[in-house]
Amino acid sequence: MPRTLRYTARRLLAGAAMLLALSALVFLLLRAAPGDPVDAYVNPSVAMSPQDMAMLRERLGLDRPLPVQYFAWLRQAVTGDLGFSLQGTGEAVLPLVLSRLGPTMLLMASGLLLAIGLGIAGGVVGAVRRNGAADLSLSVIAFLGISSPAFLTALLGLYLFSVRLRIAPSGGMLTAGAAFSLTDLLAHLALPALLLSIGHTALIMRYTRASMLEVLNQDYVRTARAKGAREFSVIARHALRNALLPVVTLIGSTIGVAIGGAVFIESVFNWPGMGLLMVTAVRARDYPVIMGAALIIGGFVILLNLLTDLAYAVIDPRIKVG
Amino acid sequence: MLRRTVTKLALSAPLLAATGRGALAQDASTISGGFDVGPGGMPGNFNPMTATAGFTWLSLYLEPLVIYDAKLEAVVGALASTYQVSPDQTAYTFRLADARWHDGQAFTSADVRFTIELAKNAASGSNFAARLAAITAVETPDAHTAVLKLSAPNAALLDTLTKVMMLPAHALSAIPTADLPRHAWWSTTPIGTGPFKFNRYVNGQYVALVANPDYRGGKPKVDRVVNRYFENTAGAVAALRSGEIQFSYVESDDVATFQNNPAFRIIEGNSYVVNYLGFNQEVPVWKDVRVRRAVMHAIDRAAIIKSLYGGAALPADCGYVSPALVPPGIDAYAHDPARAKALLAEAGWAQINGSKPITLLTYYNTPLAANVMAAIQAMLAEVGINVVPRIVDVPTYNSIVYAATPDWNSFAMVYAGLQNGPDPSIINIGLNEKQLPPAGANIMRVRMPKLTAAFDAALGETDGSKRAQRYQDVCRVMNADLPWGTLWVTSRYGVASTRLKDFTWIPAPAGGPYEAHPERWALAR
Repeated sequence: MPRTLRYTARRLLAGAAMLLALSALVFLLLRAAPGDPVDAYVNPSVAMSPQDMAMLRERLGLDRPLPVQYFAWLRQAVTGDLGFSLQGTGEAVLPLVLSRLGPTMLLMASGLLLAIGLGIAGGVVGAVRRNGAADLSLSVIAFLGISSPAFLTALLGLYLFSVRLRIAPSGGMLTAGAAFSLTDLLAHLALPALLLSIGHTALIMRYTRASMLEVLNQDYVRTARAKGAREFSVIARHALRNALLPVVTLIGSTIGVAIGGAVFIESVFNWPGMGLLMVTAVRARDYPVIMGAALIIGGFVILLNLLTDLAYAVIDPRIKVG
Repeated sequence: MLRRTVTKLALSAPLLAATGRGALAQDASTISGGFDVGPGGMPGNFNPMTATAGFTWLSLYLEPLVIYDAKLEAVVGALASTYQVSPDQTAYTFRLADARWHDGQAFTSADVRFTIELAKNAASGSNFAARLAAITAVETPDAHTAVLKLSAPNAALLDTLTKVMMLPAHALSAIPTADLPRHAWWSTTPIGTGPFKFNRYVNGQYVALVANPDYRGGKPKVDRVVNRYFENTAGAVAALRSGEIQFSYVESDDVATFQNNPAFRIIEGNSYVVNYLGFNQEVPVWKDVRVRRAVMHAIDRAAIIKSLYGGAALPADCGYVSPALVPPGIDAYAHDPARAKALLAEAGWAQINGSKPITLLTYYNTPLAANVMAAIQAMLAEVGINVVPRIVDVPTYNSIVYAATPDWNSFAMVYAGLQNGPDPSIINIGLNEKQLPPAGANIMRVRMPKLTAAFDAALGETDGSKRAQRYQDVCRVMNADLPWGTLWVTSRYGVASTRLKDFTWIPAPAGGPYEAHPERWALAR
């Protein structure tokens, strides 16, 4: 078995064990948190008797001992059945979570691609024009981006582009009730993706700049220049490729953070993704949805980290995985 | 001017390039809004038997036998064109309207019997099982007549029936009762008799209804109604201001945004929720009524209403504020810190509690509520009562106050609300001694025989003309004995675009239902 394949199999096995531990941890944390789905269901200003609440708990199986509840969930989960949402519509969790995965991927991928493109370009310009006007301006923009919390940029963006300028829809992924169209989707995607990218752009820009400055002083860059290579070729082929290694690590580790940022963006823009699903589920103490979503997000992050590690070997042939 | 235009264009350019369009399209044949459950929200629950809110929306396609009028003052016919109550109030005869289900089948008394029996059956998940328990039989002498027979008079029956949406026996009888509470039918292919038909639900995004051209009240003036869902209040307000939706329920904090704007109409109404300070009767500090009266005199309710609620609340001197239910001459508990201190001294407050902290628990977690809590804390501190506010979310609050083995001191005092109308009997569940948990929701463990007797007399009153007087008696006892420190009844708000014509909406508790006549709603171009 080739070394890379063995390495991948080992990592996948470790990932499965991590997912099992994650499910147990999320289960315990949820049960330790105050309030359960029935507590979330009852409107305090429209009172309900504890007797009726107990009946609801019994119907939902919440009256059973915790280990029984966990292993019942686990037994179903390994067969791919993540149960049903405890909220009004009672949808099956797996299709529900999967239906939200696509929109989140679209939003995150668009935001990250924007961030990667703008961040790397900005970082390279900053390093090449070190201490110049362009570098200083980009540094100021980067610091603003890093220090702006996602919920603030989301609300400001919503106010400016939707309310004041009226050039972007205020929320949703498609116009409610309208037939699907790519233009409509892009119109709804543009603003949240742009806002999601701000923080990541700034971070990638700073990392790229620092890494490029280090690489630009290396002997092989000097050698390339001495050999008469054109400046663009020196920057793009010799310096940038080597400077990208720490940036790739950053991008890999950013994905988990991006999901956190997407929660705010999805909540403000009502983007029908995992973030919005999780916020609603936590508020309703919808245990099956929270468990299912945590499992799928966890699996996704583990997979992406594996892909990031494998990408090292592609970018830098000196690195061998396994 | 030129600079502003240039700036606007510069800011717009990147997004215009991405979206490929300018002004957002408006469609005069579709009304979009956030019709229920908080700002911009929508009912996550499409099953009317398990829903505790969202009836404004549900009543666009489902209908009850009887419904409140648009002032929430009288119960009038809906699917029942007329109804009669027997002199002994144990038989309700409903003459049914000539209506059809959305699939074309006739609505008959068999559907009434099916619905009532289902709603009485707790196995169906129905919230109405206990409230309809007095119904012993549903008789159907002919297809257009249904008679409900009761074991004893029940003054609250008509109020309950306003929320019992009629369901099609032919579509639901084949589904096992136990599967009904969360059956896919409710969110995929439900049929009703209302002016709109269910069209499409997109999880977490919107629900769309289309016009029912055969509606007995006339074809609706718009083709579609869309209920949009916004997780964040700011999103709903932004959509309203940008013209994407034409209506939303809004928080009182957001009302100022729309004031003096000719494009919008602000709709204000009674919340029918009385806010109170609950004195946990299991905690010894509140046993002496003089202490409870001191709390009332310490709090400057008029100042809070004026400065924090902007005047949009009525002081409540008992559980009610409706003039018909408040007797003359009850104590208005004027703000009087000196009187509060004197009452505390008489009661021996230094020995009862002194300056020891008392938890003041609430589930109201808006910035406005935080300010109200801070004001109450400061006012009580001024007379020597040291309360410590604890603001939590609804599930946490319920897990504390409904705990099987409660920690009394964790909710020694609560700032809460309870629905007090339109039927005044509704607050009985939180105050009558017979409603102590687990049977009821008397979470503050109020055990006051005079109050229980007053409620029992009001609930058992079969003479409609005397009911208001009975509830005045309840109010009088509440005012004198202070099971709660009643504070105020606030206003609630909706904001509608002035493009909406013949639009009827009121901030009714749980969304009503009430006579909204959605078939008349129109949208000007």
